[in-house]
Amino acid sequence: MTPVTRKRYQESLDALRGDVVGMGELVLDHLKGGLESLSTGDEALAREVIDGDDAVNEIYLDLEDRCIDLFALQQPVAGDLRFVAASFKIITDLERIADLATNLGRYALSGDEGLEPEVSIGDIGDVAIDLVERSLRAYESGDVDACHRIAADDDELDALCLRASESLARDLIEHEAGGDGPWTAERLLDDVSTILLAVRDLERVGDHAVNVAARTLYMVENDPALLY
Amino acid sequence: MSETQSTTASADSTEQAPQTTTGETIEETRSEWTEYEFDGQAKLTAEGLDVFYGDDHAIKDVSMEIPEQSVTALIGPSGCGKSTFLRCLNRMNDRINSARVEGSVSLDGAEIYQEGVNLVELRKRVGMVFQSPNPFPKSIRDNISYGPRKHGDIETGWLARLLGRSDEAAEEELVERSLQQAALWSEVEDRLDDNALGLSGGQQQRLCIARALATDPEVILMDEPASALDPIATAKIEDLIDDLSEEYTVVIVTHNMQQAARISDQTAVFLTGGQLVEYGNTDRIFEDPRSQRVEDYISGKFG
Repeated sequence: MTPVTRKRYQESLDALRGDVVGMGELVLDHLKGGLESLSTGDEALAREVIDGDDAVNEIYLDLEDRCIDLFALQQPVAGDLRFVAASFKIITDLERIADLATNLGRYALSGDEGLEPEVSIGDIGDVAIDLVERSLRAYESGDVDACHRIAADDDELDALCLRASESLARDLIEHEAGGDGPWTAERLLDDVSTILLAVRDLERVGDHAVNVAARTLYMVENDPALLY
Repeated sequence: MSETQSTTASADSTEQAPQTTTGETIEETRSEWTEYEFDGQAKLTAEGLDVFYGDDHAIKDVSMEIPEQSVTALIGPSGCGKSTFLRCLNRMNDRINSARVEGSVSLDGAEIYQEGVNLVELRKRVGMVFQSPNPFPKSIRDNISYGPRKHGDIETGWLARLLGRSDEAAEEELVERSLQQAALWSEVEDRLDDNALGLSGGQQQRLCIARALATDPEVILMDEPASALDPIATAKIEDLIDDLSEEYTVVIVTHNMQQAARISDQTAVFLTGGQLVEYGNTDRIFEDPRSQRVEDYISGKFG
């Protein structure tokens, strides 16, 4: 085997990869917690998710700093350059996913009258979590086929979200027209708004997972195909 | 990278990839890695160039086209043949007795390795700047006018006719213009008769560039022109190279890969064994090299 030079540099790159994945795992935990608190109404868990966002932000700033240091001090080129540049972008997507998880916690605290759209938030959440998990694994292992599959599967998430939003809107209209049932129009409106926001947030989680996959594809093959 | 050279596969193992003498399989080079398409004219073209120093095969079958009015960087580890290749471009290797050159180098389509080529004229068209500044131990003014005088341009009045001046005025103008082009004029205009050896290293190097420009070259070859200079002097030389490329074809050998990345339009990577392994747009070479060995070299990851 060829002896490795620039040992410290190499170690910094390896550590960056590990720590970006570590940040991703933490963000996934928050996303799962946010979803669970939303479906169970667990207020303590919701507060945990909301308060945990500061820790994610700190890790984000630390990783951003380390990427900048690598650019400035080690001047990475070729595959290393694409790895650091991709990581620099990916941590922003992970940080945003954590923000969206925090939103879910807030919706859980705002109360829920048990309204369920045609496609359950839990089902949408599972698809979103799956995309984030897979995008992290793709980044970790440099799996380009997985990147393409993630982008394709995000369309499925978008379709689910659309169906959920439409069914909520239909419910709202029908209840308004009928006038009876267990909900008053005002309470129903609050509830529908919250669920619509949750659906939109989960759809965005999927978009961020696709961004992670897109940057990974660029990182591995210098292929910008999935970047918008 | 080890200093061992690749050995060609023996007859009974022609399907195997080349190996180093330590038995390690090394990547085979591919011709498409060195095919570089560009807009505009080629100023210099090497075709199937081989150089031997005695038994040492210093350059192996190198073909490349160097676009005019641009900066081409040649990079690679020590002993890879990049300086040898540079010296082939104005036949400086002719001065080394044991050197033997095979193949072709053409300047504007005309072969420079053929009988009857006037070497003085060739080197006037293809000037050179070396690693250590080497001004003549003469005045700043004389350093500039030496070349044109030697070529007879001043005595024959060629320059004077060109510039519409008397010989003396033409010389003054040439000295000023060359020093201006080399971004040195403002620092030396009031001491043109001082000895050039009294200048700082960076100033001496810019004087050498001014001296090369004074003979009105078309190509300027630079062999590690900034390696002996501090960062400020280096930055001045780099800015100068950038300016020069608007008018001249610049070919530069450098060990400093960041310098190559900063200043060149295209980069050629030579690796041990005198092979040109990859050649292309500088952006592409530094962002997405095709060859794993080139990637390892520019990332500093070879041992």
